[in-house]
Amino acid sequence: MATKKKRTPNVHNDSWVVIAADSVIDPQTHGSDPAFVRLRNPSTDGASLYVLASGDAQLYEVKAFEEDLHSWFVGQTVQRDGKLLFVTPMDPLYLILPYLVKCGKEGKFQPVDQVVMDEEFPACSRLLRCTRSLASLHHIAEEKEVGSLKFHRYSEEKTMNWLKKKVERTVVALRNRNISVGEGVKSTTYVRVKSESDYCEEDYLRYGHGLISEYISEDLSKALLRHLQLPELTSPKETEPPSKRRKLSDKPVEAGDDYTKFNSPDFARKPPKKMTAAQKSLAKVDKTGMKTMSSFFSPKVKAEKK
Amino acid sequence: MDIGPFEADNSVSCRLASQIPDVCRVEDCCLGIDEAGRGPVLGPMVYGICFCPLSKTNALKELKVADSKTLSEVERENLFQKLDEAKGYVGWALQILSPNTISTSMLQRTKYNLNALSHDTAIGLVQYALDSGVQLKEIFVDTVGPAEKYEQKLSQRFPGINVTVRPKADSLFPVVSAASICAKVCRDRIVKGWNFSEDLGEVDTDYGSGYPNDPKTKAWLLKYLDPVFGYSQFVRFSWSTAQTLMDSKAVAVHWDDDEEDGEKAAHRQNNKSMLSYFSASAGGNDENPAHQTHRFFTERRLRSLKTL
Amino acid sequence: MSCNTSVTHVRVSSVSQAQGVPVHLMPCEIEHNGPAEVSQYFTATTKDHKHEKTVSFRGRGLKGQEIRCPEGYTGLVLKEISKPGSDQEDRTVKVSSVFDKLTYWNLETPPNSDDTVVLAMDWPKMAEAIHGPVED
Repeated sequence: MATKKKRTPNVHNDSWVVIAADSVIDPQTHGSDPAFVRLRNPSTDGASLYVLASGDAQLYEVKAFEEDLHSWFVGQTVQRDGKLLFVTPMDPLYLILPYLVKCGKEGKFQPVDQVVMDEEFPACSRLLRCTRSLASLHHIAEEKEVGSLKFHRYSEEKTMNWLKKKVERTVVALRNRNISVGEGVKSTTYVRVKSESDYCEEDYLRYGHGLISEYISEDLSKALLRHLQLPELTSPKETEPPSKRRKLSDKPVEAGDDYTKFNSPDFARKPPKKMTAAQKSLAKVDKTGMKTMSSFFSPKVKAEKK
Repeated sequence: MDIGPFEADNSVSCRLASQIPDVCRVEDCCLGIDEAGRGPVLGPMVYGICFCPLSKTNALKELKVADSKTLSEVERENLFQKLDEAKGYVGWALQILSPNTISTSMLQRTKYNLNALSHDTAIGLVQYALDSGVQLKEIFVDTVGPAEKYEQKLSQRFPGINVTVRPKADSLFPVVSAASICAKVCRDRIVKGWNFSEDLGEVDTDYGSGYPNDPKTKAWLLKYLDPVFGYSQFVRFSWSTAQTLMDSKAVAVHWDDDEEDGEKAAHRQNNKSMLSYFSASAGGNDENPAHQTHRFFTERRLRSLKTL
Repeated sequence: MSCNTSVTHVRVSSVSQAQGVPVHLMPCEIEHNGPAEVSQYFTATTKDHKHEKTVSFRGRGLKGQEIRCPEGYTGLVLKEISKPGSDQEDRTVKVSSVFDKLTYWNLETPPNSDDTVVLAMDWPKMAEAIHGPVED
């Protein structure tokens, strides 16, 4: 058989295979050429690659599909780098939001162009040129107009409502596209145990929340979880089957919930599930003293938060 | 013998067979098995069976069939002609294992070695004779490997049939010699008129015997080596001759089941890309170690990039 | 560490000259960037069956299928026009080829709807939901 071959690094890559929204390369939209720029990723706080096109009117996200040990044939050439880049339209508000949150702590109304500034990522001011940015700032901030000048102040309440709508939209798309929100889908030895219809609303909501959380800070993600009235899970949150999680809820089975599954032979065959120690202690938490959502938004609580 | 069905798609395995003589369906028969082209790095390996009633073994002997290796190509063609003329009582069947079948089997994720492939092919041919109604009582097999084990395997597989596996059986039993002639004639014809499905233009057909130690074969393998694809499907990629030439003259290709040392394998199991070790800045997107990418993305192998 | 201020411009005008090309995603890493006789060796020997394509590469059996780019999306191959002197400088890429479908290949495994690249094609539609405008 073949001798062992050492992999050498691919240092001279100068070519990329991309699947891009048609609008990125639409020759009808004038202005400067599209450009890959680095901006602050709101979820990691580090640099990520984005695309600004149509004279900065449109923002796009760049995601790389990459499996180890893949290469391309492109026409009559080999491209060693097997990545496939997706360039998809992005809501600029996700990238603007962290800057408003940061300034929001001062509690003042400010001109937004003085807020969205970043020495490390100078391109961030271009975000305000996106068509959607100024028109949608009211989703995350209160607005005040003085003469011809506009001032903004971050509003967590507005932001939560906006993000909730984002989650809801995402849930609709997950259902429409039959995305499996269950666990362990991509294990070669593991077969999907549930059909799509078996997933409950909470599974979808959590999944939608998880997707939106890729675009917001951890603090906002936690706040959004509370806003969606989803109990926080103990780690390892992503590996527990949904059926176990449901035990956490002390609510009775509601009509909205798919209780027919309790009658299904599949359910009957399953042995009774045990709660982990962490789940038990969580379940025991007395929720009666917990703060309501509205109290969460009151200035006093906010001040306490930091 | 019409090799047309194989030539229609010479990348896969193909069976060619004569008519089953009526007499073979009513009288007790013997059957010989032999192979042609086990060693060459080029072309197919052909498995052959030949069968006739036990009462006709002397008639077969009188055709003067002998071990195909001791005969010239012309002599083999003439003998095959004689066998064809005896089709009233002699039947044959061939299984052509294309070089591509041999390569992809031997290099499979779960390796399928040449011995297992040979045995399974032989068993398939015997089963074909049985399914066609041939009254088999005795089987004679030529082998290069250990005879006892193979004999045991065949006896168990075909109870009630007397199996004799013997080295050099092709020179001892006329029915094996006949099988060997059929197989060799078939392989010769295929190799001579190999139809390259690759778009290679005029191909030099002076490839010698196809055995790795033949200088003509070696020269041909050097001439027709492509740096990316290696060889055409005429070549057995699983032969060390081909592998060695590709290792030195073609670009390296890495598969996820390549042999690797333990450390690399462990990294791979952790789903880490080796690339992330080569270029830290182009790697993972997680500056914040607390951030865990949602499984929608990890399951789809999607991640953010820091740089093109 | 690359510099956050440098940007990579995409020369859009190059699209009009870009050729449509067949693209194949191979289940192995080929240590090569450059020309290859893909049509002569690979395309010419590819067999098209009902639900899958088969071919072999370096003696290994591959099974694959063709998938289309999601609606509203185009496949582009970007190529760097010239290497920048340092990571502070802006870079420029052109669109060297375009494609509207790709063929991906598995090592020996028949193509299936759970293949990662098929699942990855969910992304543009999901991105639309995550990034589309919400009503007031």
